[in-house]
Amino acid sequence: MINIEHVSKVYPNGSAGVRDISIHIEKGEFVFFVGSSGSGKSTLIKLLLKELDPTEGKITINNVVTNDLPREKVPYLRRNLGVVFQDFRLLPNKTVYENVAFAMQVIEAPSKQIRRNVPAVLSLVGLAKKSRSYPNQLSGGEQQRTALARAIVNNPPILICDEPTGNLDPSTAWDIMDLLEDINRRGTTVVMATHAKDIVDMMQKRVVTLRRGQVIRDIQKGGYGDETEFN
Amino acid sequence: MKPSSIRYYFKESFSGLLKNRLMTVASMATVAACILIMSFSYCMVNNLQYMLAQLEDDIGIAAFMPSNTTAEQVENVKKEIEGIEHVTEVEYVSPDAALEDLKKELDADDILAGLEGENNPLSNSFNISIDDIKNQGIVLQKLNEIKQNGGLENIKDAHSETEVLIKINTIITVLGIVIIVILVVISVVIIVNTIKISVFTRKTEINIMKYVGATDWFIRWPFIIEGVLIGLLGALIPMLIAWPAYAKSVSMIYDFFPVIKNMVTFRESSEIFSILLPFSLIFGILLGVIGSVTSIRKHLKV
Ligand SMILES: Nc1ncnc2c1ncn2[C@@H]1O[C@H](COP(=O)(O)OP(=O)(O)OP(=O)(O)O)[C@@H](O)[C@H]1O
Ligand SMILES: [Mg+2]
Repeated sequence: MINIEHVSKVYPNGSAGVRDISIHIEKGEFVFFVGSSGSGKSTLIKLLLKELDPTEGKITINNVVTNDLPREKVPYLRRNLGVVFQDFRLLPNKTVYENVAFAMQVIEAPSKQIRRNVPAVLSLVGLAKKSRSYPNQLSGGEQQRTALARAIVNNPPILICDEPTGNLDPSTAWDIMDLLEDINRRGTTVVMATHAKDIVDMMQKRVVTLRRGQVIRDIQKGGYGDETEFN
Repeated sequence: MKPSSIRYYFKESFSGLLKNRLMTVASMATVAACILIMSFSYCMVNNLQYMLAQLEDDIGIAAFMPSNTTAEQVENVKKEIEGIEHVTEVEYVSPDAALEDLKKELDADDILAGLEGENNPLSNSFNISIDDIKNQGIVLQKLNEIKQNGGLENIKDAHSETEVLIKINTIITVLGIVIIVILVVISVVIIVNTIKISVFTRKTEINIMKYVGATDWFIRWPFIIEGVLIGLLGALIPMLIAWPAYAKSVSMIYDFFPVIKNMVTFRESSEIFSILLPFSLIFGILLGVIGSVTSIRKHLKV
């Protein structure tokens, strides 16, 4: 599903984001990217989203080599990828319903399908009652669930999250993790960059550990690992 | 493009225009002011050129034949002159007609009395009109050749007047072009800035659209429509002012200075605006498209 082969990214200013990374992710997997701050987690996620292009190596998503994908094809690649960020990125002047429907409108989904899918996904994330609220009327957890609903409303085969629980208190973070696991169980591949040791330890999923831009550990069903080794 | 998307584009662009109401009105007004000044310059330049052309028509070349020429010689020389390139009209003036003109001009019938018929000292001559005064030099050269062959004795041209007219014409044209270019640049800068602000206020929105896989064109359309609406209205308003204002001004000038009509006429307002109106509207639309495409480009690189 996702194949990263010997990928390096050097930023224009010379700092190395990631170095010679190879990771293969199968359909339906749940993978954590962990590592200390600056280890290259976000860089890797941006490479997957083709927000950045690798300076070396090859990235394949859904059998498409994304390196040399022409600019006008990028939107269609992104329709396979749901994204959730630490800072929610909701539109403040739109309601919960509108924020989620927006993701369907902008890829020109039929309005009938929008009217069917949005309520369904809102009840999946437990926000059916809040669909008319505006983001500033929601708690952090509810905002992130809205963002999650938006990320999955188009049924992408892959869900990519960069510290989705970073701004949330522990119990709210667990609500989000339950949802992610639920989504994963329905067949969606989930990739998540995180700092949250307890979450990674509890979930017992595949863990890829980065250090200074390189993979130093990649284990199936593992924990967060020994933090002293991270630096 | 789906109908639902088109509805979305228009909804978004109207909401963008309303959200930045002040900027929208300000930039529309600026574009309108620029186009109004441009129209004014165009009317001036166009009319001055038109009038100069009328004056130029009055400036011709007079060519005189030697005395005692036969009708056949006159006819031959006339044909020869008519054959010169750039000559549009050759009018034969008989000695009698020339004398009449002279009498009228000098208002001295008695002094010139008795010079009619056999005693007329004036010779056969031609009034020569040419297509453009710029070509006067070439025509004169040809006429001088005829003179050397004895067909003509004397050639009178309006050399200095011609030069002045050509100079005035050049200055007006250059000035008009400079003014119009400056205003075009100002309009583009203004509209680019407005759209930039509109794009900036919707940065997050564009960012999210990029992440969920909206195409660049889907993202661009609302801003293009926004720009076109600003440009189009900014162009239409000055036209609605300038057209009646022009027609009114011309008729007022004619009313106050009726003599002017004997010398020169103004262009019809329909003549002016059948060019200016479509030009302004197309300019407004282009302005909007260029403005929005350039201001959004940076934000699409995610
Ligand atoms: N836009 C950029 N320009 C230059 N260097 C960058 C840029 N973004 C990241 N870097 C560098 O790349 C390296 C990896 O950064 P990255 O953001 O991927 O780390 P991270 O693992 O996500 O850290 P955190 O846990 O703090 O989010 C760092 O050394 C960082 O300074
Ligand atoms: Mg990061």
